[in-house]
Amino acid sequence: MSEEPFELLSLPGRAGRTLARSALTDAVEHADPDGVWIPDASPEPRAYAAVRDAGSVPVVHPQLGRTGEQTVRHARANGELTRVDADRAPALDVLTVQSPAMLDGLAGSFETGARTAATDRTFLVVPDLGVETDATTLSAALTVGDELTRLQRATETPLTVLAGELPAGYRHDWMLDGVTVPVYGCGPPSGYGETPTFATLRCTAAGTVAPTPMRGDQFGLRALAGIGATTATRLRERGIDARGEVRETPVRELADVSGVSRANAERMHAHAEVLQSGTPLRLSNETLPVTRDERPPVCLDIETDGLSPTVIWQLGVYDPHDDSYQSFIERETPDEPGRIIEAFLDWFLATHADRTVLTWNGYRFDYPELERFIDKHAPHYADAWADVWTYDLYKWAVRDGNALLPGRTNKLDDVASRVGFDGADTGLTGAQTAAAYQQFMRTGDPSLLDWERHERYCEDDCRALWRVYAAIRDADRRATTDTVTDTGGTQAGLGDF
Amino acid sequence: MSRSDELLGMTGRDLVASFPRRSLTADQDRVRIRELAAREGEYVPASDALRSRLADPLPYELYAHQATALDALDAGENVTVATSTASGKTAVYGLQIARNLLDAGVLAPDGSRASEGNDASTALALYPMKALTKDQKRNLDGLYETLGLDVRVRIYDGDTPSADRRAIRAEADVILTNFQAISVYLGHHDKWSRLFSALDLVAIDESHTHTGVQGMHAAWILRRLRRVVDYWGGDPQYTLTSATVGNPGDHSAQLVGDDVTVVDEDGSPRGARDLVLWNPPPQSKAEPDESRADIPETDATDTGGSDADSLPEGADTDGEEQAAERVPASIEAPRVFAHLTAAEIQTLLFCPSRKLTELAVERAETFHANNAASYDARPRTEPYNAGMGRRTRHARETEFKTGSLAGLATTSALELGIDIGDLDATVLLGYPGQRQSFWQRIGRAGRGASRSLAVMVADHRTLDQYVIENPEYLLDSDVEDAVVDTDNNAVFVQHLRCAAEELALTEDDAPALAERDRLERAVEMLRRSGELEGYLDAAAHYAGTPRPQADVSIYATGDDEYRVTLAEDATLGRELDIEPVAKSRAFRDYHEGAVRLHDGQQFEVTAVVDDHPQPFVELTPVDVDYYTQTRTTVNVVDADSERSREVNGYTLHQGTGTVLVEHESYDRVHIGNGERLEQNIPTDRPPVEMQTQLCWLEVPDRVETALVHKYREFGVETGMAGDHPPQLGYVAGLHAAEHAMIKTAPLELLVDKNDLGGLSTLVLDTHMTLDDETTRAETVAAAERAIERRAETLNGVSSGWFVYDAVEGGLGFSRAIYEQFEALAARARDSLRDCGCGRPNGCPACTFDRNCGNDNKPLLRASAVDVFDHLLGEGSDLEAHLPDEAYGGERRPSIFYS
Repeated sequence: MSEEPFELLSLPGRAGRTLARSALTDAVEHADPDGVWIPDASPEPRAYAAVRDAGSVPVVHPQLGRTGEQTVRHARANGELTRVDADRAPALDVLTVQSPAMLDGLAGSFETGARTAATDRTFLVVPDLGVETDATTLSAALTVGDELTRLQRATETPLTVLAGELPAGYRHDWMLDGVTVPVYGCGPPSGYGETPTFATLRCTAAGTVAPTPMRGDQFGLRALAGIGATTATRLRERGIDARGEVRETPVRELADVSGVSRANAERMHAHAEVLQSGTPLRLSNETLPVTRDERPPVCLDIETDGLSPTVIWQLGVYDPHDDSYQSFIERETPDEPGRIIEAFLDWFLATHADRTVLTWNGYRFDYPELERFIDKHAPHYADAWADVWTYDLYKWAVRDGNALLPGRTNKLDDVASRVGFDGADTGLTGAQTAAAYQQFMRTGDPSLLDWERHERYCEDDCRALWRVYAAIRDADRRATTDTVTDTGGTQAGLGDF
Repeated sequence: MSRSDELLGMTGRDLVASFPRRSLTADQDRVRIRELAAREGEYVPASDALRSRLADPLPYELYAHQATALDALDAGENVTVATSTASGKTAVYGLQIARNLLDAGVLAPDGSRASEGNDASTALALYPMKALTKDQKRNLDGLYETLGLDVRVRIYDGDTPSADRRAIRAEADVILTNFQAISVYLGHHDKWSRLFSALDLVAIDESHTHTGVQGMHAAWILRRLRRVVDYWGGDPQYTLTSATVGNPGDHSAQLVGDDVTVVDEDGSPRGARDLVLWNPPPQSKAEPDESRADIPETDATDTGGSDADSLPEGADTDGEEQAAERVPASIEAPRVFAHLTAAEIQTLLFCPSRKLTELAVERAETFHANNAASYDARPRTEPYNAGMGRRTRHARETEFKTGSLAGLATTSALELGIDIGDLDATVLLGYPGQRQSFWQRIGRAGRGASRSLAVMVADHRTLDQYVIENPEYLLDSDVEDAVVDTDNNAVFVQHLRCAAEELALTEDDAPALAERDRLERAVEMLRRSGELEGYLDAAAHYAGTPRPQADVSIYATGDDEYRVTLAEDATLGRELDIEPVAKSRAFRDYHEGAVRLHDGQQFEVTAVVDDHPQPFVELTPVDVDYYTQTRTTVNVVDADSERSREVNGYTLHQGTGTVLVEHESYDRVHIGNGERLEQNIPTDRPPVEMQTQLCWLEVPDRVETALVHKYREFGVETGMAGDHPPQLGYVAGLHAAEHAMIKTAPLELLVDKNDLGGLSTLVLDTHMTLDDETTRAETVAAAERAIERRAETLNGVSSGWFVYDAVEGGLGFSRAIYEQFEALAARARDSLRDCGCGRPNGCPACTFDRNCGNDNKPLLRASAVDVFDHLLGEGSDLEAHLPDEAYGGERRPSIFYS
């Protein structure tokens, strides 16, 4: 596999149409893709125009093509993903069809030799492709299974399908009459309610597609703390349309905008500064979680086999006090989830029981899952674990409003890289590491897993967490002003200013 | 209020004698009185079943059935107690919990708490409605006070303040909640690990209410609960309390997925009871107009869930109206209610809808006013239903209990065991549709061993008239079976998503959750749709949208629900609080232009938004003089037979298929006089496709040929005017037979006939799946054209009718009909043959169905009876009617009647 991966920004028309211009520009800049795809099944001219206006990357939206131009071909060559009209055989190919109805014709053109398939891998984007399920008969089928079968046979080299009706994050290897076709979603990621969503898709020559979901309200003005849809509109009406402009506008003027309190204005102003500078800012006098003897917290991360875990198969603990990293990995008996829990607790309670434990978003996942496994498999340690001081830095900083962070999103990766953390770049995501472990669970074959890479992935997260902690610790603290009295004390939630 | 302890103030005879008659003469036939014998109580010393710590403080002996149930629980069995209201069913599980707490050492022998916490023995009690939960908490608290036990009984449901929740989960010995709530709580079961790991008892109160759709959901919620409890190490016994149903053992076993011992020999005493079957008098010309304008809207159950409009408001009686010669029950029953309450007889009036509880009280007052001379007292009566606020309801319960209210007009909300004290009489506005419900309602009256009165005022519907004509049906036969169908895949998949989210699915889930093959197929489907990741041989994890538990609505099976909101530019002055409606109902009742009544206010549907993640309809308040009635066409396509059997030459099939339902147009009907102001206004809605279960009957050619010939001259008798094909008399019989079958199905099964649909056809075969070709159609009319085309190309088509489950995925009802077809056919035949209406096309009592999509035309009783007679092997000789030459010269028209 000679080719480097490339990144598509799959941007559904709804997001393209509804995002403010500045937000769209921000999103495209942030994603920095090789190309933007609008995967809708019906024409989205406004979205297309808006994306073209927002940056200089190629924008692909076959629904706007002229009649006859129903298949668009891009090839990966010389490190660039470019549109090609001439037929040659690149290593990687991205074919985009207008509709599933084109697939038979496309297969035909490969069969007759009118087209030549990519040597390594063909990615095929099909806007109108989805899965039809019938719960009554417990069946589910691709809407165009037969056509894909024919096409995969015709191209010979492997095919990966990106389906517009399936959400980014969807992945299934479809066994279709003797051929296997991996299908990934490129529609809006689901589970975010009404917010417009989109995703970058990192596509590799091996045929894998790793999605990074993004929410429309994380870009442009909306990326700033304290700016919701209404405030963003009002700011724009005042001619304040970019984060830089918020930074350059005096707080007093921001506070003049209807519905924006003084405290809120200060916060958005400060956040604009934080995003610009890449340095966190502490908003309160709350102390960071530390232990009594002033030793720093240890940073914990766990890996499971999925979102409703049957096993916590990896626990990593980074101790900044002596720069040591300790990991516990279940390499033998995933069906005995108690072993690793007990091993971890033996070690932790013997050597680190007096230390504060730190996680990123642990109150939502790591701690409850750990507690569940301890209750179930090591109940004799339940009380001792309950006595351990556990903190969630994400909650402390973001949800409790104690700090403004410089990441575009508040995901650990984003924040850590902004504060200068240079990770091992294992190329893994949490979902991939879970899926890899599931594979091991099914086969019992440890050679299927690159254990070292997965261990580095976990260690990376622990060390990243420490870097974010240190950056917040060293950050400036916002001077306490008299804004509390200014607002008559009505802004109780922001009294920390 | 004065009461006799010994004698009821009024017997059935007294009632008939004292009831004011105006111009009407006494009509011996229309009122029948039956005396139901008293039942002696059977008692057992409490010390026979209980240790002295529990027996000694009890101030009473146990009923024999309580002792039997406690013994079975002591032996480690699951137990269903199926006995009458007020027979001490709650005490059975209350006492078992007490035994468990003492045995586990949670309580010291003196009844005080042995330790602060309790991780040794807990119990969970599940109720079908919140009101009952509160009532039963009072009962249990009272029991433990009597016993001198410090038991922590706590309610935990949607009304529990979040500040209290953690403490309740940490401390409670017994948690009382409902099914919908526990389904949601399973989503974060780790918070419940203390309760679940020590769970010794699950009590399922009023378990007979879990039937049909709700029963399916309840069964799956219990399976999910069992799975999670098992994970935490709990191993509970199940105790069910039930009203009498035909199949308490089977029903309970289906519900909990385990063997259950049935205790149904009722040991509680019951006084003698006069049952008055009251057919209202013929409608006099002078009757006020209100009776004709009456809209007998019905609520199937009134448990406070999303069931406010469970039955079509289009329960309009067009077609029935002309034949309705008697005063409707909705007028007559409030009069009886008024008469009883005026005589200081404490009475419950059971009404089929929330609206009628309000109307009935008004009508009772009017009756008093019009007959002021006959009555000394002006008793207070009030309506009661689950649409009312909790405070209002509780106040009325208390006022009734203390006697300051003489009567309550209630929906089924008071059918269950809410404590309203003892009362003297019940009046039923119409037959409630099921014997089970009938007995449950009249069982509410009675004070210990004293005499009580029950009056059923019949409506002119089929079932009511059947029951009036055949009182032995009520008195001598077993009550209906309760149906729980865990084979329904649509519901199974909803709960499988939840189960996977709660704990990843593994091989160990077969067969407890489902058979291995079914589980694998479901997991594969969900993996393909992206909602599950992984495989059963390791673990299949939920990967769909968060909180699948929130998508489970235990009152419907479909996935899509429409929110009902006020239009943006509309003002109401109060909050519009209407539960979301299922898609099929939204299409029928909430098309643009529909006028709906809610809480006394008329609304017009001004917008329907389908292409939205959460589809919705918008209402605008209006004040118009009409209501709307939707016209519907239905057809069946792609029927696929899964099994079949021969019955006297007929072939009966059971399988699956697609029902296309198109609510194509609507009429505006004047509220006052029922006049159709405007007709056939298009709704512009596409057909609703429903994949469901069907059963169908093929009539043998020989029978068909003979009957077509026999009835070839019939035309206008069927209700159809104008020219008619020679087959009309025969197909009118199929149509009547199909109606009769559906109308009598509730006599055999615990099924609401609104959960069934039917279609009779001369071209049965054309509705089948052919060569994997599916009949996709934009409209029902297009599907019919396709069927017609197909009919022309087929040889040897046969005629017959379909009966289908009118719910996406099916409920198992048509499956049960397939199995009990002969018994149902015999009942249907009898009702057609024996009806006294004297009309060839029948009447509301025998052939007319209020859900008919063809205006109850054409119908013919005689040919329907012949079809059934031959099916049952009792038909007369066909030879006489077979034409001389080979039949077949006439083209077979493609006609369908739904």
